[in-house]
Amino acid sequence: MSGASDGAEANWILRHPQMKELQVGDSEQIHAAFLVYMDLTEVRRWKEVSCVKIPDLQAVLLEAQEKDGGPVYTVLPLPVHQSLSHRSIRQALDRGFPLLLCAVASDSTLVYQRMTDGLVTPVPPVGPFEDEGRRQRRKRRQQQR
Amino acid sequence: MEAELQPQEERSPAPVVGLSLCDSAPLLWRLQDLKAVRSEGLVGALLGSLPRTPRQNVRLGRPLLLLPEEERLLGERGGAAALPAQNQEAAGGELQQRYTEEQQRSFEEQSVLALEDRKSALVRAMTSSSGSDPASDEALQHRLLDLEQNFSFPRSALAVQLSTARAGLSHCPEARAFLEADWPIRAQRCPRREARFQVFRDLRGRGFFLTSAGKFGGDFLVYPGDPLRFHAHFIAICLALDESVCLLDVLCAARLGSNVKKTVLLCSPAPDGPVRYTSLQWSGMV
Repeated sequence: MSGASDGAEANWILRHPQMKELQVGDSEQIHAAFLVYMDLTEVRRWKEVSCVKIPDLQAVLLEAQEKDGGPVYTVLPLPVHQSLSHRSIRQALDRGFPLLLCAVASDSTLVYQRMTDGLVTPVPPVGPFEDEGRRQRRKRRQQQR
Repeated sequence: MEAELQPQEERSPAPVVGLSLCDSAPLLWRLQDLKAVRSEGLVGALLGSLPRTPRQNVRLGRPLLLLPEEERLLGERGGAAALPAQNQEAAGGELQQRYTEEQQRSFEEQSVLALEDRKSALVRAMTSSSGSDPASDEALQHRLLDLEQNFSFPRSALAVQLSTARAGLSHCPEARAFLEADWPIRAQRCPRREARFQVFRDLRGRGFFLTSAGKFGGDFLVYPGDPLRFHAHFIAICLALDESVCLLDVLCAARLGSNVKKTVLLCSPAPDGPVRYTSLQWSGMV
């Protein structure tokens, strides 16, 4: 919408207690981090969500658990038009937890991708698999001709 | 790598394969070369048309095209040498001469057999119609003689055999070829290629089979074993550690990977040794 409401919106966000602490680096990235923070805490209700400043990356990471006592994730929020390097991903992974990369679109849509160190075998497709019978196959071949 | 492949069998050194270069594409034509290369875990891509099933490309035949990484890996191990380019006209002329000679030989043989055939048909016809009596015998002999003198086997009746197995494809004798072989100097060292090769070598060293992943928007498809037996597990994307990549591209790759049930693997060779791998998967968070 118009600039006025945007301005008010931005001010509101800046007045949030969490946001006040995070004054490192890129304001866009901080905005993205804030949106992800709100999503994790209010919408998904994850536990122990905290913010971590990483000066090397000029970014704010979040650390959170899905449930109490569950595995800890590092979350890297980034505006979707930005770019990143494999090195920065490795730096985030070096914290020792699996990484959730969160892409924040201009309309505040959030997409989470999971990143892990090493080679993770994918989940195989689920059975049961039905082999098609001969009649089905013949029908298909005729259709293709 | 030895540990993963039949440790109890005695491993003789891998044979050296002969590469034919078509422009800059490394091709393998000989069957024993293809077998040797596959047994080392290099898959390549078949390009040729099969003579009995030409109008399809589900199953292709020789030659085998090697990836640049595969060629380079073979080169590093001293496992391949470039065969000298054949002199086209000389080879053509020789083949043609051989062909005409063979045709001539076949023609002569077939003429003789055709004549025999005709004679025995004549004899059958004449002895069946009349009983054996000296007059008809003599007539028969007369006719047979006539036949022999006047018979000519028309060229158009010649039966020609076409071999569907590619004849004449074997190169000049092995020993001579390798003595003449030299390595082509075509190295193009750009950073992206270097990264690809480091990743290829590392993954191959761990026992994975790799093929080209153009269909999936990546650099390599990584199989846990021979591609004839397994589906690929990973789509490998090779990039330098400091290379800047757009986040949208990462999302693209991840989405595609999850659609085809493969993990996207970001691979970067590190200056201090091991290649770094990061697996990219759908988070499951809608």
